Amino acid sequence: MRVIKQTPMNWIERLYIFECLRGLFTTLKHAARGLFRYETLPTISYPEGQPEIRSTYRAKHRLMLRPDGTPRCVACGMCAAACPAHCIFIEATQSDDPRIEKRVMRFDIDHLTCVFCGLCAEACPVDALRMDTKKIVFEHRTRDEFVAHLNDLIDWDPKDYPEDAQSQMAPGGTKNAEALKVWGMEVK
Amino acid sequence: MDIIESRTWIEWVITIAKFAFCFVPVLYILLLIPMERRGAGFMQDRQGPNRSYIKIPYFGKIRLFGYVQNMCDGAKLFFKEMFAPAGVNKVLYYVAPAVPFAIVFLSPCVIPWFGPMVFEWGDKMVRIPGSIIDSDVGVLLLMGFSSISAFGAILAGWASKSKYTFLGALRTSSMTISYEVCLGLSLMGILLLAGSFNLTDIVSWQEHHVWGIVAQPVAFFCFLIASIAETGRAPFDVAEGEPELVAGYHTEYGAMQFGLFYMGEYSHICINSFLIATLFLGGYSVPFVTTETMQAHMGGALAILCGILAFLVLAFLHMLYRYSRKLKATEQTHRFVVLQEYKLYKICGWIAAVVLVALGVCAWLFYNPANFVVNGVAVGSLATAVGTALIHLLVLVVKSVFFCWVWIWVRWTLPRFRYDHVMHLGWKIILNIALINLVVTAVIAKLAGGN
Repeated sequence: MRVIKQTPMNWIERLYIFECLRGLFTTLKHAARGLFRYETLPTISYPEGQPEIRSTYRAKHRLMLRPDGTPRCVACGMCAAACPAHCIFIEATQSDDPRIEKRVMRFDIDHLTCVFCGLCAEACPVDALRMDTKKIVFEHRTRDEFVAHLNDLIDWDPKDYPEDAQSQMAPGGTKNAEALKVWGMEVK
Repeated sequence: MDIIESRTWIEWVITIAKFAFCFVPVLYILLLIPMERRGAGFMQDRQGPNRSYIKIPYFGKIRLFGYVQNMCDGAKLFFKEMFAPAGVNKVLYYVAPAVPFAIVFLSPCVIPWFGPMVFEWGDKMVRIPGSIIDSDVGVLLLMGFSSISAFGAILAGWASKSKYTFLGALRTSSMTISYEVCLGLSLMGILLLAGSFNLTDIVSWQEHHVWGIVAQPVAFFCFLIASIAETGRAPFDVAEGEPELVAGYHTEYGAMQFGLFYMGEYSHICINSFLIATLFLGGYSVPFVTTETMQAHMGGALAILCGILAFLVLAFLHMLYRYSRKLKATEQTHRFVVLQEYKLYKICGWIAAVVLVALGVCAWLFYNPANFVVNGVAVGSLATAVGTALIHLLVLVVKSVFFCWVWIWVRWTLPRFRYDHVMHLGWKIILNIALINLVVTAVIAKLAGGN
């Protein structure tokens, strides 16, 4: 336990009026900042100016893609198992690729139920599910539209993730060509 | 008829025109509300209200630096339904908000807005006092009016039939009583020196000697604290302390009835800051320049006035250009709309700057009272008197706006006092300091052989 010893106030502080003047000076500095340096105020005028969101922020989900454009998901169901809100619905089907056992037929995330804990992204063994889209606004007309389907989850652009090497291997990314070469070589 | 013919028509015109000063506190409310809201925002590192806009066809949106928000709030208060809770005393409940607001129009009548206008009219010397009523009991009248505004609070508290309003009213009345005493006593020192209750005399004494704040610094602080307390604003707003009393005496009021209390409070601040400026900061007198000097060089004085105003406009333009530059560099999606609005202000600002500079140069070069002759009557001295009055009025407004700012500044800085602390401060500290100050002033004035 840490004990903080409070020093008794000296007589100038006990007079209060001088401390008042100090406080007034402090608020005057802040007021002058607002008046003369308005743009340095930390407020963001929200819909017009967007807040800066880091890639580690747990935002809307996306599904990573293989170099040939198929979702990386192997439909193991670990994300659905880890989900505390039970908002992930997965149905698996036979994969066409002989190297891969299963692929997803249905991958739904209900964003009305989702608590954005990030456990699904943690649980994914193949790094297929990520929450780094920086999309924090969910506005739809009906409840059904809040459910993100497989098509919505794989619909992202590698140009939005320039630093992420994994994302660049998807179709349209800078590393897609060489990744596809490696991926194709393994087929033969 | 004799009373009408006893004065020239120009005297009557100016005397009646002076009644327009009754509306000064109401205009100050329009200034004080945005000042308070934006000032509070800036002190807390917020932006303050700035979102509302008026849409102008073929131009865009106009925000007026957030002023539209205040217009919206005012309109909302104005059009809300007025209602009374069950069991209230209907008559008193509806009369109560009108009391502080009626005082708004009465209080400005004794404040000298400019020095006495003295000018030649035909072959007569005309003297018109600067206050609406040039009364010898000026200060006392003003103190009486500000005490009456407490009746509004007391009536409201009693008529609302609610324990919170009742407690708020009790606290307001006790605060008013205790701080009126301090107010009156701290006032006495400067009255003693000036030897008059007439505010015009007090200002002219300050003009010829020193400002009240130099002669009576202790009294100035006592008066400032007591008048902040008397308006019932933070840190002395125990009468409407939210944690204890919901909203004090106006808990049961909504719509424009609440608005009237609100406006009454703001105009009380306005009147008190005019009073402080008049009593302790030389009122309408220009610092370091006597009225005679100013009148002898009226053209130069007007030129300097125009120069100061032009400087302010240019400073405003500088800030506008600077902020436009910063805004253009951001990614905000509405920046072109805002920049369009700023372009309008820039055009207005440049026009104002050019006009002010031109007026200043004209006043400097061509002002000569001997040239002013209308229909064979020399009005040169009237023009000089009006120019003096204008400068006096502006000086007084600047001083009082500074004190209005002090009110806002103090409110958003200091935490609220506890009720017993307020009473302790009023009765045991400020009252004693004011009394000692009065005695010391009286002794020194007697020894120095003053009034």
